[in-house]
Amino acid sequence: MADFVNHILTLEDSWIGYIVAALVAAVLILHVVAVGALLFIWMERKISGRIQDRLGPTRVGGKFGWLQTLADGIKLIAKEDVTPDLADKFLFKIAPYVGLAASYAAFIALPFADGVVGQHVNTAVFFVLAVLGLEVFSVILAGYSSGSKWSLFGAMREAAQVVSYEVPLGMCVVVPVMICGTMNLTTIANMQAGFFTNWLVFNDPFTFLTAIVYFTCATAGVNRAPFDLAEAESELVAGFHTEYSGLRWSLFFMAEYSSMFIVAALASILFFGGSHGPIPIADVLGLLSLDNLGSSDPAFHVFNEDGGGFFASLNLEIAIARFLGVANLLLKGTIGVTVMMWVRWSFPRLRIDQVMTMCLKYCVPLAAVGFLGATAWQALDLPTGNSLMNSPRYSHHELWTADDSESTVEEASSNEVQTPHEDDTHAAAKAVELKTVPVSVVKGGER
Amino acid sequence: MDLFAVAWPYWHQFFFIIFAATAVGFGFGVLLSKNVVRMAFYLVLSLGSTAGLFFLAGAEFVGAMQLMIYVGGTLVLLIFGVMLTAQKDFINMDTHTQDWILATIVGGSLLMVLLFAAFGAEDWNTPQDLTDAKVEATKEATPLGLALTGIRVDTLGETDDAVQGGKAGYLMPFIIVSVHLLVVLIGAAYMARTKKLSHATDDKSSRAKLMLFKMEHEAELLEEETYVVTHRGQSALNPLDPQDDEN
Amino acid sequence: MASSKIDDPRVIEFDVRTDEMLINMGPQHPSTHGVLRLVLRTDGEVVSDVEPHIGYLHRCAEKIGENLTARQWVPYTDRMDYLAAMNMNLGWSLVIEKMLEYDLPERGRHLRVIISEMGRIASHLVAMGTYGLDLGSFTPFLYGFREREKILNLFEEACGARLTYSYLTPGGATADLPADWTGKCRQFLAEFKEVIPELHTLLTTNSIFVSRTAGIGVMSAKMAIDYGCTGPVLRGSGVYHDLRFHGEERYTEMYDGYVFDVICADPATGKYPESNYEFHGDSLDYPEIPRQAVLGDCWHRFYVRMLEVVQSVRLVEQAIEKYEATSGDWGTPIKLVQKLPVKEAYMETEAPRGQMGFYVVGNGESIPWRVRARSSSFCNLSVTAPLCQGILLADIPAIVGSLDVVMGEIDR
Repeated sequence: MADFVNHILTLEDSWIGYIVAALVAAVLILHVVAVGALLFIWMERKISGRIQDRLGPTRVGGKFGWLQTLADGIKLIAKEDVTPDLADKFLFKIAPYVGLAASYAAFIALPFADGVVGQHVNTAVFFVLAVLGLEVFSVILAGYSSGSKWSLFGAMREAAQVVSYEVPLGMCVVVPVMICGTMNLTTIANMQAGFFTNWLVFNDPFTFLTAIVYFTCATAGVNRAPFDLAEAESELVAGFHTEYSGLRWSLFFMAEYSSMFIVAALASILFFGGSHGPIPIADVLGLLSLDNLGSSDPAFHVFNEDGGGFFASLNLEIAIARFLGVANLLLKGTIGVTVMMWVRWSFPRLRIDQVMTMCLKYCVPLAAVGFLGATAWQALDLPTGNSLMNSPRYSHHELWTADDSESTVEEASSNEVQTPHEDDTHAAAKAVELKTVPVSVVKGGER
Repeated sequence: MDLFAVAWPYWHQFFFIIFAATAVGFGFGVLLSKNVVRMAFYLVLSLGSTAGLFFLAGAEFVGAMQLMIYVGGTLVLLIFGVMLTAQKDFINMDTHTQDWILATIVGGSLLMVLLFAAFGAEDWNTPQDLTDAKVEATKEATPLGLALTGIRVDTLGETDDAVQGGKAGYLMPFIIVSVHLLVVLIGAAYMARTKKLSHATDDKSSRAKLMLFKMEHEAELLEEETYVVTHRGQSALNPLDPQDDEN
Repeated sequence: MASSKIDDPRVIEFDVRTDEMLINMGPQHPSTHGVLRLVLRTDGEVVSDVEPHIGYLHRCAEKIGENLTARQWVPYTDRMDYLAAMNMNLGWSLVIEKMLEYDLPERGRHLRVIISEMGRIASHLVAMGTYGLDLGSFTPFLYGFREREKILNLFEEACGARLTYSYLTPGGATADLPADWTGKCRQFLAEFKEVIPELHTLLTTNSIFVSRTAGIGVMSAKMAIDYGCTGPVLRGSGVYHDLRFHGEERYTEMYDGYVFDVICADPATGKYPESNYEFHGDSLDYPEIPRQAVLGDCWHRFYVRMLEVVQSVRLVEQAIEKYEATSGDWGTPIKLVQKLPVKEAYMETEAPRGQMGFYVVGNGESIPWRVRARSSSFCNLSVTAPLCQGILLADIPAIVGSLDVVMGEIDR
């Protein structure tokens, strides 16, 4: 995107392009975090209201009370920012920012559609999980520094819970990574393009199992009911944020809701086709074909290289397809968040030992079974969702055979504005194959 | 300012300086802070900045690893342990002079070794024109993963069996490390296990023994307790008291 | 409780032990039902000792009763168990009537059954809802309150108040029920019957709820009797005792001609007696007992309340018919300055939370010489300390919530 900005500003490889690109990406992601939190809190109140046979907010902002969260936010900003006497003041003040920064940073590598991503990270799956795991620091620091025993209890629970649930979560995430042979979220999503039978959740029974285990562990990982032990109000008053007030308190909530969205979006990318809908509308309408998938640059394909101005170079078809993709992913993520809300308002809370039992006795073994089963399914070449429906799967092509890696080195040293996935050397490899399994490719490499 | 002038046009240098300064700065924070939990927090920031350096160098996998294992795993446990065990005496640590001297000797010699090794590398000695340098991200972590399972994709083209055998991947070290970790985990589970009373009965002051005793004799204790019915207390005004009627 | 096996899960010793922490749970805490204060001694999440402290809601109600006439004190009984104010009124009314040897007309008797059983339904709905809240489930609370609102609307029509009614007074009630009241009540019961299975789905049979409550806070029948527990807490331990059956004649004759069950499991089989009440056409009023549940645990205490609600519905249905069949006087309230004879009277009634007793001593004047209340919640609360040893922190709301205490009644 930086190159594109430089291109339309007719600058040559200038740092201005980088700044503009970074600012645009940062502001867009910030909007997903902030506006998303506003929307999700409003949704939570409406959904809980409907579940509990009441209306929820109705007045602020006209119909449906859709500005209720904004009004609450203004109220929270106006509130006094209290720091307890016994608190470790520095850590107490900085803790909410740590949490928000962590969940905000995880958005950097989240592809909203093919190519619509803050920063193209090859190991995006890993990156998102790692950064999201940092959110636990805010809870631990908040709990410790509050100088309250209830907060400390909340922090202890959170630490134990999050560290435990990262194990099955990681194991579940490995399954799509293994099937797709990449940690690149964009590629994983693109491999599920086409009809919904291509979605990894329908790949085989074990991926279905893994998707369910993933969602359970993700719910636990972001501290949502019935695993919301760190803020169990009936036991720990309010857990780690007992002593917080005003804006700092609301930062915790922003972090929580954006983390919810991240894990839901990650679930939709890993298992539910990401930015690709159940029916490939964009493909049918001719807006998008499998051939122009796989860019790491948001501007790539959307703007022609040789165009003059902004609109002249705009490739409208692909722009619309990308837009549909973003809408698709946001919708899927929102559905995931809604399910979490639904669960929250239906179930009682588990006890800490039950949460741990659930993790170690059920989730870890189930994730292991899912992983082994999915591996065996691939290795034995059993029929998968897409092969049964005979719908081909977009196959990415990585450069890990000896010949290819040489060409990559050359390409990397050249100054072309191209990303690894679009170069011509791989056009042939981009031909649609039925299935891409790492093992088979390795065999192919031996020739 | 020269530094600024150098850093400004080149993004990677600019970010390198930011990350390096943060890492070093919070490293000093760890060294100079007296509060244990703050030390741990500074260590988080320092190691996080190191991860940033990895990302900057295009080593995304290592960077994410750094975040996940050091920052997300080890340090969470470190803070967890500090939080639970540190009492008032240990929350604020005073370092003695002899500790400073010892630490300076050990740390200084380690630093010397590192500097020596670093400047011994040829690339560091050779001046390079960095204006055209462009850091490209490595392709994927897949070759690395396959190498860990024993398949070196970068040597697939190697025809010489002897050379091929020499580059056999990292399966063995990987397995050794995994087994080692498993042993550590089992050991930790053994240490932290809850112990049944039968192991603890020798301990006279054992709380469990006390609990067992209370539970054993609970029935008897309850039976022995006589339900003391306190008398209502004779008041001069009690209308029901026969003595009161006389009044 | 008396069993002491070496593999008792409560007997655990940790190799890695952290320091014990002393924590104040309450008096300002979301799950202590008002102003109960529990001092917990915990080792990590394991609670080794619990000490309840009471008295934060003490309002000298009994002493005030010794400065007011019998009818003037009725509003103060409202404020004891504010969630079942009608039953408090009833207890006080009965004890004064016993003292005055006053006999209630037939219509007033049925009116009292309707009102007190409706009060029981309302109270158990709150108990159910707040118990869900204690376990982290918010929705049953509002489901319970929605139904309770309807009962409160009916009560409001009858007496004008929604929380502190002062409706049943010594001598009868302040007014007869309004003209179309019974029809509305019938309609409410019909609607309410549809809701009960929903409540069972939300909590009673929910697997998380079962795992949080079944086998937790197990209280043997002997222990329940020893500590003086009454009401659903006692019957949850399998003790067949309900003052509506086993109480004083003056109280039980109120229920003459009524058919209902005492909800209590048979200790031998652990099963609840089959209901002969045709509810809904199937056995939805008796969901299956989960495998993990032990007689006397939190789940059974909760379950007894849920089933008692059904029996109360059954009683109200009968009472409405009987009430409509009678006419005439519903019982005139006694005079405001009615003189009390020189004697004492004590009487216990089956309030929703247990046996609520009132003791009154008259000295020939209209103001009683002595007024005392025997609180059901107070005795029920006394089992907290023995039940809460060696459990996890999260079990404390589960146990205290299952006892369903109302602090207004304890502190008076």
